[in-house]
Amino acid sequence: MRISTNSFYENAGGKISELQSSLAQKQAQIATGRRIQTPSDDPVAASAALDVKQADGVNTQFAANRDSAKNALNLQETALTQYTDLLQNIKTLTVAAGNGALDDSQRKYFADQLNNDYQSLLGIANTQDSSGKYIFAGYKNTTQPFNQTATGVNYAGDQGQRLLQVSTSRQIALNDSGDAVFQNIRTGNGTFVAAAGAANTGSGIASSGSVTDASKLTGDTYSVDFTIAGGVTSFKVFDVTKDPTKSSALAASGPFTPGQSIAFDGLQFDISGTPASGDTFAVKPSSNQSIFQTVADLITTLSASTAGPTAKANLAAGLSVANNNVSSALDSALTVRASGGARLKELDTLDSEGADRGLQYATRLSSLQDLDYAKAITELTQQQVTLQAAQQSFVKIANLSLFDYIK
Amino acid sequence: MANILGVGQSGLAAAQVGITTTGHNITNASTPGYSRQLVIQGSKGGQQIGSGFQGQGTDVVAIQRSYDDFTASRVNASQTSKASLDTYNAQISQIDNLFADPTTGLSPTLQDFFGGIQGLAADPGSAAQRQTLLSSGESLVSRFRSLDGQLGQISDGVNKQILGSVTNINSFSQQIAKLNDSIVKATASGSGAVPNDLLDQRDLLVTQLSKEVKVNVSDQPGTGYNISIGNGQPLVIGNATFTLQVTPSVTDQNRLEVGYLTPAGLTRLPESAVTGGNLGGLFDFRAGTLDSARNELGRVAYGLASQINDQSRLGLDQNGVQGKNFFGIPGPQVTASSLNTGNASVGATVTNASALTASDYRVAFDGAKYNITRLKDNTVVSSSSFPVTVDGIAFATSGTGVSAAGDSYLVRPTINAASGISVALTDKTEIAAAAPIVTGAGVTVPSTGPSTNGGNGKISAGSVDANFTSLTAPVTLTFNAGKLTSSTGVPATQTYVSGQNITFGGITFNITGAPINGDTFTIAPNTTGVGDGRNAVALGALQTKPLFDNNSNTFASAFGLLVSNVGNKAREVSVNAAAEAKLLSNAVALQQSQSGVNLDEEASNLLRYQQAYQAAGKLMQTAGTLFDVLLGLGR
Repeated sequence: MRISTNSFYENAGGKISELQSSLAQKQAQIATGRRIQTPSDDPVAASAALDVKQADGVNTQFAANRDSAKNALNLQETALTQYTDLLQNIKTLTVAAGNGALDDSQRKYFADQLNNDYQSLLGIANTQDSSGKYIFAGYKNTTQPFNQTATGVNYAGDQGQRLLQVSTSRQIALNDSGDAVFQNIRTGNGTFVAAAGAANTGSGIASSGSVTDASKLTGDTYSVDFTIAGGVTSFKVFDVTKDPTKSSALAASGPFTPGQSIAFDGLQFDISGTPASGDTFAVKPSSNQSIFQTVADLITTLSASTAGPTAKANLAAGLSVANNNVSSALDSALTVRASGGARLKELDTLDSEGADRGLQYATRLSSLQDLDYAKAITELTQQQVTLQAAQQSFVKIANLSLFDYIK
Repeated sequence: MANILGVGQSGLAAAQVGITTTGHNITNASTPGYSRQLVIQGSKGGQQIGSGFQGQGTDVVAIQRSYDDFTASRVNASQTSKASLDTYNAQISQIDNLFADPTTGLSPTLQDFFGGIQGLAADPGSAAQRQTLLSSGESLVSRFRSLDGQLGQISDGVNKQILGSVTNINSFSQQIAKLNDSIVKATASGSGAVPNDLLDQRDLLVTQLSKEVKVNVSDQPGTGYNISIGNGQPLVIGNATFTLQVTPSVTDQNRLEVGYLTPAGLTRLPESAVTGGNLGGLFDFRAGTLDSARNELGRVAYGLASQINDQSRLGLDQNGVQGKNFFGIPGPQVTASSLNTGNASVGATVTNASALTASDYRVAFDGAKYNITRLKDNTVVSSSSFPVTVDGIAFATSGTGVSAAGDSYLVRPTINAASGISVALTDKTEIAAAAPIVTGAGVTVPSTGPSTNGGNGKISAGSVDANFTSLTAPVTLTFNAGKLTSSTGVPATQTYVSGQNITFGGITFNITGAPINGDTFTIAPNTTGVGDGRNAVALGALQTKPLFDNNSNTFASAFGLLVSNVGNKAREVSVNAAAEAKLLSNAVALQQSQSGVNLDEEASNLLRYQQAYQAAGKLMQTAGTLFDVLLGLGR
């Protein structure tokens, strides 16, 4: 084929410029370490890389969220550790205060100590985090949740549990409300409370009792009334919810011997000591009572004088009730701690899962957009050689002209 | 003797023409469009001298250019395609990396924004977190605006280039018409000989015109080239030209189109009639990539804003006020054609952001019904009465105006979204991080003491949906004999089933466990729940929720789709441009092998004609010597 001089120059120029442009592109790849310079280099990989980056960003965000959650849960755990320690102290003190050898003034020391503990409890319940938020106030974490009033401690928070997204499919609670931790503590044995009437004159004390057949429980309030006729103590059990006028006694009624077990409607307890005629014992379903109320009651019990058998019985009954309630509070606190601990453990598992996932994303991102240096540098060298050859051959050929020989 | 001199003289003359033409070729070796010229020599014939015919020397019959219509038209066709693809490529490469760039793309700010939401969820009461979210919202908005601004600049650039291209086309047409005239005149005066250099100039102009737009050329004997574009609209007929004019679209002042000026007025050319060349490439780019990229970006902006807004409105801000829209976002743009004769006002509103497409719509009234055409794929929905909903957009007329047959409107649902998105909240306390309701078991909310419930029933935190308007007073459900009864009568008394969702007034919650008679569960307005981040958690969950394309794509994947669409198109265009460049270079090589000047060849021609000249001179010298012999005889 004829080659026109013009197209020889144009072709050679064009080829050399192509080679230079691909060299420049290779150089840019090497300089940035990225195979994909613009999405058009590999649209599928570029779009996939965006997806992976987004997923990685979300993963990193969840890791940050988990850190927040761990902080919050650890803070709560610290507060609850103090709380359980304090409860154990109170329990020990309650047992010690039952020692019959103590006199009123000695018990007063216990009451003083309990007063301190009461303030400590209040402090724990009003724990604040590093930014001044109350951790046991539910959603209302800028409001002090527990406030001392003339009638006791009021709760100003709510039952809210703050949740945080800690993985794509898991939201975790950052807190337990003060209501659940300090207030909703079952009285008695958790099902019912048997307590001596306030006007009792005998020394009868009801035990905390137990449930013998849950299916027979009614949830009603009962009254156990004692009478002494002809030297024989007997008692009658009435279901005052259904029978407020106490017209018909239940079958459990009968003669009484101290320490006797009284059982009806699926529940059972015993009364020790010697009740006086006309004494009553009320059996009520358990209700919720705050730890503050329990401790306040205990202080009242310990501060009261113990002159006389009735007062002694009151002290014993009061200590027994307090012991039960503090135990319930401990149970309840330990349940909350266990649930918090389980959450912390889950966060650790999610952390290692998240770290694995992050590594996977990094590997995938690298395989999508990173440069294979060995290959790139080989190609660069090859292109360099080609360009040099093209330049040298161009100059040699361009110098060939017939005009050189026309003299 | 005279005869020999005559023969020698004809040889000298022919050699001179040869040398001159060779010189012309050499000097024009790099002139664009130049075709090498050849001297065609012919014998002058013989004269009867009795013993036979005696030659009379040589004659220059013609000076021809070496030119082939077929190869030239192949070059022009290839030139048209390549110019079109090159223009497309140059334009699309501006936006290829715009979206995906790790620092200037949308993804980092989108991630930051959702990071801000998560930060708020972790600490809803924190002023710093609220400010961070507000600021990251601002930077997200400004990123949307800047991306759209860059697309707008590219669109302006396209308009300028259309103007330039049309100016070039008109100028080339006029020059070709003039050359047609000159060539006809020169041919007439040259008694049939053609003016090669003028022909070259005209063919070069046709090649240059082909770079601007695809043209059809036909050579009419006696008048010259007739040139037309598109479906046969003539640009040049003989020495007359027709002018193309740039004009704004009837439905969009900022969009330039091409019209054809006839004595009757301006006829708009459909973009499909203008193909090839720079102009065709610009139209292709605008319709194929720029419009959809802008709409797609707007769609991501619209979807994001509307989803975040919907969730925000369900929340409660730090002041205890029902949440407001987080983002301000403009709705669809409707423009009536400037040619409309009716006075109806057609409007469009988005009813379902998830169903939005990236397409524009044309609403045309044919006298009886409205035809709504989705311009991306020309799907038509016809309706005789408005309002009608297509792809999540409700089309409606407002006011008392009436459409006339032939009226049309352009509806661009998301064109303004990316440029008009703004942060509507002005204060950080207005971010709705909290849920509007709180629930409680056995307490009147707000509670003061322990739960009065005897059972272990628990009420979930509850959630609200789009049906929720407001809750002004607490609603208490009381459990009795296996049934739940509401203090307000709503929800209706129902049998208690543990874990079963209960819904009223847009509020959904459930109660689990075993309540006993008399237990109460309360749903109350959230008043001072500053630590509540439930709505922020719900906002954060939107990031990974598929909300686009009828719930199949997330914000990020909808945006990723845009990146890959543009990237794919850019790749396709660049591969095609490279292929077309190869074809063009082949066509040019073939054409040049015929018409191009080869200097070595010219050098040999020069030697040839030089020797011919010397030989002819020698011949005349011989004639002189012979004459001297004759003169010597008389001495």
